[in-house]
Amino acid sequence: MAIILHAYNFYRFDDLTFLFTTDAGDEYQCYFISYAEYFVSQPDIAPNFFSFNLKLISNEGRPVRKGIDKRIADTVITIVGDFLNKKINAVIYVCDNSDGKEAARARKFLSWFNYYEHPSHKILKVSCDIEAGGITLYTALLVHKKNKLKNQLVQAYLELIDYEDDNK
Amino acid sequence: MPSATVKTKKTVRSKRRPKAKPMTKLEMVQKMLADQKIIGEALQQGISLKQLEKSHGYHFARL
Repeated sequence: MAIILHAYNFYRFDDLTFLFTTDAGDEYQCYFISYAEYFVSQPDIAPNFFSFNLKLISNEGRPVRKGIDKRIADTVITIVGDFLNKKINAVIYVCDNSDGKEAARARKFLSWFNYYEHPSHKILKVSCDIEAGGITLYTALLVHKKNKLKNQLVQAYLELIDYEDDNK
Repeated sequence: MPSATVKTKKTVRSKRRPKAKPMTKLEMVQKMLADQKIIGEALQQGISLKQLEKSHGYHFARL
C-alpha cells in the first residue's frame, strides 16, 4: 500500500528558497547549494551536485520541541523528491556537526527515505562518512534512479569520499 | 604618404591567474561545515541567499 505524505504547505520565498511553517509555529527554510567546486576534476557532471539544507529560522524564542513531527520529514521528502524528479541533479546531504548530534541526524535523514512504497522508492541512496583530520562528516547522496547520469554521479561521489590528498 | 605597418612587440605579459591548488580532504570537510555555518548564521540575521551569492560567491539552485 502506498503511503500518503502529509507535507506542510511550502512556498517559494524567492527563486532560491522554500519556506514552511509547522503546526508548532516553527519556520523552516530549505535551499540547495552548489557542490560543483568539490568535483572540479569532472567538469561535465560537477554542476549537477547540490547540497540540501534545512534550517530552522524562526521559532519565536520557544524551545525546540523534542520528539517527532513526521510532517517535517514528509515535507523534506517532497521538496527533495521534486528537485530530483527532474532527473538531472544529485543531492548530497551533509549533517551539521555543530551540536554533536550529527550521527543521529544522519540516521534520521536516511530513515525518511526508507519507507516501503514511499515516493522515495524512486530515489537511490548512498551514504558514506568522510573522515579527515579527526573530523567525521556524515553524508548521503540521493539521486533519481532514472537519472541518466546516475552511475557517473554515484562514482564521482564515492571518489570524493575516498579522495586522498596527493601531499599526504 | 602611406604609413608603414610596424609590428609592435608586446612588452607586457598578460595577467594569468595562478592555477588553483586542489583542496586537501581536510580543507574540503572544513569548508563544507564552514559554509553551512556561514549561511545558517546569515539566514538568522535576515540576509538573503541572493545577497550571499554576491558577497561570498556561493551558487544556489534555482527552484
